[in-house]
Amino acid sequence: MLRFFAIRLGRALLTIVLVVTFAFVVLRLSGDPAITIMSPEAPPEALAAFRQAWGLDQPIWIQYLRYFGAIFQGELGQSMRDGRPAIVLVAERIPATLALTIPAFLLKIGLGIPAGVYAALHRNSWTDRAVMAGAVAGFTVPSFVLGLILVLVFAVQLGWLPSGGQDSWRSAILPIITMALGGAGVLARFTRSAMLEVLGQPFIRTASAKGVPWPQVVRGHALPNAAIPTVTIVGFMVGSLIAGAVVVESVFSWPGVGRLLVVAVANRDLAVVQCILLAVASTMVISNLTVDLLYGVLDPRLRARTS
Amino acid sequence: MSSTTAAAPPRLRRAIPLAVLVAIGWIAALLAIALFAEYLRPYGITQMDLRARLTPPIGFGGAWAHPLGSDELGRDVLSRLIVSIRISVTIAFGATVIAAVLGTSLGFLAAHFRGWVEQAVLMLIDFQASMPFLIIALAVLAFFGNSLPLFVGLMGFYGWERHARIARGLAIAANAQGYAAAVRQLGATPLRIYLRHVLPNIAATLIVAATLSFPEVVLLESGLSFLGLGVQPPMTSLGNMVGYGREYLTRAPWILLCPSITIVLTTLSVSLVGDWLRDRLDPTLQ
Amino acid sequence: MMPLLTLEAASRTYRTRHGLFGKPSDVRAVDRVSLEVAPGRTLGIVGESGCGKSTTGRLALGLETPDAGSVRFRNTAMPPQGSAEWPALRRHMQLVFQDPLGAMDRRLTIAAQIAEPLHIHNIGSPAERAERVAALLRDVGLRPDQAARHPHELSGGQRQRAVLARALATDPALLVCDEPISALDVSIQAQIVNMLADLQAARGIAILFISHDLKVIRQISHDIAVMYLGRVVERGDPDTIFAAPIHPYTKALVSAVPTPGPRRRERIVLTGEPPNPADRPTGCAFHPRCPAAMALCRAEDPPAVTLPDGREVACHLALTPDRIAA
Repeated sequence: MLRFFAIRLGRALLTIVLVVTFAFVVLRLSGDPAITIMSPEAPPEALAAFRQAWGLDQPIWIQYLRYFGAIFQGELGQSMRDGRPAIVLVAERIPATLALTIPAFLLKIGLGIPAGVYAALHRNSWTDRAVMAGAVAGFTVPSFVLGLILVLVFAVQLGWLPSGGQDSWRSAILPIITMALGGAGVLARFTRSAMLEVLGQPFIRTASAKGVPWPQVVRGHALPNAAIPTVTIVGFMVGSLIAGAVVVESVFSWPGVGRLLVVAVANRDLAVVQCILLAVASTMVISNLTVDLLYGVLDPRLRARTS
Repeated sequence: MSSTTAAAPPRLRRAIPLAVLVAIGWIAALLAIALFAEYLRPYGITQMDLRARLTPPIGFGGAWAHPLGSDELGRDVLSRLIVSIRISVTIAFGATVIAAVLGTSLGFLAAHFRGWVEQAVLMLIDFQASMPFLIIALAVLAFFGNSLPLFVGLMGFYGWERHARIARGLAIAANAQGYAAAVRQLGATPLRIYLRHVLPNIAATLIVAATLSFPEVVLLESGLSFLGLGVQPPMTSLGNMVGYGREYLTRAPWILLCPSITIVLTTLSVSLVGDWLRDRLDPTLQ
Repeated sequence: MMPLLTLEAASRTYRTRHGLFGKPSDVRAVDRVSLEVAPGRTLGIVGESGCGKSTTGRLALGLETPDAGSVRFRNTAMPPQGSAEWPALRRHMQLVFQDPLGAMDRRLTIAAQIAEPLHIHNIGSPAERAERVAALLRDVGLRPDQAARHPHELSGGQRQRAVLARALATDPALLVCDEPISALDVSIQAQIVNMLADLQAARGIAILFISHDLKVIRQISHDIAVMYLGRVVERGDPDTIFAAPIHPYTKALVSAVPTPGPRRRERIVLTGEPPNPADRPTGCAFHPRCPAAMALCRAEDPPAVTLPDGREVACHLALTPDRIAA
């Protein structure tokens, strides 16, 4: 078990190292990092200080190591636009993003998993077909189209909800629904196939053949086994709590991290982009690691094999 | 694995479902539009008709002069839609091909050299799969600025890991036993083994994988263009049109709805055909 | 006559791990095997599955590199895989597989596959190649119209003929046949064996014939090597070995071959665990199943000795001739 944790931890660290390396390579390829991070209008003494701090006069591998050092000390440069530290700028926006993504995440799970289980248990019924059609729509309709259609119907035509901004809790309803619907479709489809696979296993037939009541078979045998693959995909969704909001926040002019990223990319505000890149990578890695560990706890086979 | 790829010629005799037929029809129409856009569009995409601004489509009070209506500057929505289809389809197609070639090559390299080359490729696959591609794409666009070749190349990095996984797995299976080992033993060069024997044998699986990633590339391209970070004006793409039409959501929803419907129908059609092909050609592929 | 192929105390060890960080353990697939194949002659290797006979075949072809000992072809050391000489050497030695369907590309016609070695080694003009393919088809007993067929459209025997035609395309001096007939019907087995013998007589090819079936080996071989857990335990002339096997394992194998007429020998049934290369017994690897095992057999691996009649045996009993009769 310990070895299992160690391997997973090692892989997580490796991914972080790769992301930082990626950022370093891209940064070096795009020109003088002092200018790109600090902006060309920065005072020369600030540029010189930056060059010295990051060791830009040193050989490339020392620069690489120093870059690591700077990043792990949270020195991610200043925003080109208002000169404030990028990390502060990003941290400010995180609550707004989480205010959308956490309710959307819960809604996805609340809709997607029951729909998938229901569809699997009532295979080929009209509800099953409806769930599957909804699931297909969930990943073929882009979120910006879905969002704009919701705006058109509920904000423009019916006038029930605001079309954007962050004035009251009512502003959050449409973005949350937009995010939740797409993810719920994917989750429903996934849960359904995981459930169907488990229901086809011999132990389910054995349990029901020996007289265990069907609801108890489902609760005691099918659900726990279908939970294992489902946890994985839910984990990926946790990882995208920050990254998943880019498009939807832009559609609804919601002042979160996603909107900040789009604006920063458009203005080439590299310090901010780099900071968000690392934040996203960290959440992805941490959630993947958590899922892996959870997996080890959930799946007794894995536990036995690695202990 | 080899038994599935090398199964006797796929039986396509069973009736094709109606939905798949309709989807194939739509894809064919799209390809025709993309090929003949220059002849099909009634107007130039920047040609303005200031007397006919924001005219609605036919059926909503519009006239035949602008069948799908016009925008704020009096530009013909149908013409812009036709050209947008051409650009979006070209980008998605080019990107899918790049991803397939890149991924397959890396997969073959991993399968051929094993050892540290394989570990490196696997590490890249893990990395690519664990980061949301949209974020990586945005970061690259921020650092390098936007140009069409860079944008297409960037889209070409989407989904390569899927092809690499498949190509590696199938090539290892072929190498371990069977025809590839037999041909190597005859003295064939690796290039000959992979291009003449392994590639044609796994092509069906790779094509299915490409079909499954094509709609995702369409969504990615239109998403970035919608955000104003993809295809830049005066060029136009489907996502671009939606982004522009958003400003006229209340007054002229057709500007936004025409490209939106096109995107949805396209991703839906290609997904349907891809799923159907997968069930037919390679049920083992996830 | 100078041998075409010589294996001298060649060994091949695989390292396996249980799990990613498990303790590595070594599996000696082939252990100090010495063999010779003369031009135009057939050496038969016989043994149970897992005895290392296929690995020996791969060593002989240079598809594996020995960890110790040497493999020489035409008195030159086998170049390592990946070297510049390796691909060129392929045209002189060919492999015939157990599973002809798996060994062929299912998408190409029989003719295209038979012509493939000619393309690879750049032999002849297109017209000459076509002629050559037609001649090869004839030699292995396939009809000209079968040239345009795909592998799955042929029967198992026909496929093996096609594989053989492909192997013969470059006029090799050595053919390694790894269980070439065990996947075929008995009636077809005989046809293929006879055809191999005819082709050998006509072309003077040396054959390394690997099989678990001693009856077939006897039919086709000029020399026999019996393998057990990676070692050659007895080697010599087939008639001598059949008449008077010395190694207890050979005795058991020979006694199991059905003979016409009344049974002349008592059938020896081996007891004990079937051999597992990963868990090799101490001393003589055969001792746990050997009816004549002595204390010495458990302690010491017997060396291979050459007897006056020319055969080579690796058994402690062979060194104490008085016990052979017992």
